[in-house]
Amino acid sequence: MTNPELTKSDHSASRPPAPVTTTDRLSGLDGYEGTPTPTPTKIAIVGAGRGGTAMLTLLHQLRTVEVVGIADRRADAPGLRHARELHVPVFKESADLLRITEPDLVIDVTGDAAMEKTLRQQVPGGVGILSGRSSRLLYDLVKHEFALQAELLQTDKLAGIGSFAAGIAHDMNNPLQLILGLAENLTEERDLETVHLQARDIVEAVKRTTAICRDLTSYSRRTSIHSDQVVPINAKLDEALKIARYAVGLQDIEVRKSYWPEATAIGNPDEILHVFINLITNAVQAMERGGVLTITTSTIDGATMVKISDTGHGIPPDVMGRIFEPFFTTKPPGKGTGLGLYNIKNVIHRMHGSINVESQVGLGTTFTITFPHDVRAEDGNP
Amino acid sequence: MNEFKSGFFMGGESCNGRVLIVDDEPDIRKVVRMTLQKAGYEVLEAENGAKAIETINTGENRLLLDVIICDIRMPKVNGIEAIAYFRQNYPRVPLIVLTGFPDTDMATSLLRQGVVDYLVKPVEGEKLKASVARAMEHRELARL
Repeated sequence: MTNPELTKSDHSASRPPAPVTTTDRLSGLDGYEGTPTPTPTKIAIVGAGRGGTAMLTLLHQLRTVEVVGIADRRADAPGLRHARELHVPVFKESADLLRITEPDLVIDVTGDAAMEKTLRQQVPGGVGILSGRSSRLLYDLVKHEFALQAELLQTDKLAGIGSFAAGIAHDMNNPLQLILGLAENLTEERDLETVHLQARDIVEAVKRTTAICRDLTSYSRRTSIHSDQVVPINAKLDEALKIARYAVGLQDIEVRKSYWPEATAIGNPDEILHVFINLITNAVQAMERGGVLTITTSTIDGATMVKISDTGHGIPPDVMGRIFEPFFTTKPPGKGTGLGLYNIKNVIHRMHGSINVESQVGLGTTFTITFPHDVRAEDGNP
Repeated sequence: MNEFKSGFFMGGESCNGRVLIVDDEPDIRKVVRMTLQKAGYEVLEAENGAKAIETINTGENRLLLDVIICDIRMPKVNGIEAIAYFRQNYPRVPLIVLTGFPDTDMATSLLRQGVVDYLVKPVEGEKLKASVARAMEHRELARL
């Protein structure tokens, strides 16, 4: 379907305005155009027992941090095994860890009071050391931050489900109308073959109705932050399209899909689904009078890229720099929480991916997500 | 129903009237057709607003179409747009809305625009037939 706005712009403007771009490659106050990329804090972990494993798992999800190595004299320490899975260098001696990786901060989770003294002798001045209660406090704070992000994600999700009401009613009441009409007819029907055919139609209609309930209850459940696994991206995009239909009518939208068959990413499947539903819903809402929704997956150097493009009204340049801010929305009151893109950014950051936006007013918007290459995706062993 | 007043002859059998059902769901068109045909109506189908407009502008339908039953959420030309077209170009053809989504504001607005009934799926056959019969009365009055 032709977008009148798009056609008008094509003909009236001899040269389209340059697209406005913003990237949230970085963490912290990102989303602002021109923000310099902050250098991640290089952290070394000493001790790879339960505490070291937990600290590694947590810090590895932070975009502002690079875990440069972990050390433990016990070759079978669980943290060392986990570090290898995450491609974090492992060391037997803390001295080697500190000398080779040159960290900005050392976190001691050995629980050994003597270790802190040893570390103070090994690290050069200016390098911070956290041990004992202070390392525990850091762990608790980061954990708390993730818990808050999970709450915001759930809030956004539940708020979004409210907007599904029209779509759910439409998709539930249509099969119910069929069931009722056929059942009424069956009370009078004498032809046995017709009875069988209509009874089968009723069974199929009930199955369709059940599928709607199953999709939505599955989507609305609370997600676990740490259940990372190999996620088939194309299947998740198709699932997102199915669920987004409840929130936004796709009747006048032409959906074009171009999938790279092996597209996968390591992450939480529920969170990735939420990201896709949000971006598809936004794209369709931007095309009030119809348009083309293009979904593409591809790979570059092992990384999986997902592009979601619309031919809608575009994002004005003065708004572009704020779109990843929490609670920022251009939608009317009650129509959006302003948490959608903020949550998307957090999810993608935890996966060490990036999200890029390119938009031209009157022509449309493209969101590009890059999921990092992960060897676990190749053999399917997260 | 007085067939000489409101109906016409169709293949040797009398017909209570000609009804157009506009819905993108084939299943809905199927059950509405089944219910109304049993009640003696001739039923035409359109899968969206654009097809419905095409149908009403085709041949004798301009004159002989008695009632339109219209869904709201449809591709191409949606129900709201189609209803606006029918009200403007065929103000004497009564309209019934049959929708999956109960929306009080929309119902009020449509009834103000002259829609004779706003039905929410699933609707029982008897209720649908009663609504169509009422719409036929509107049609008869408009013909006077």
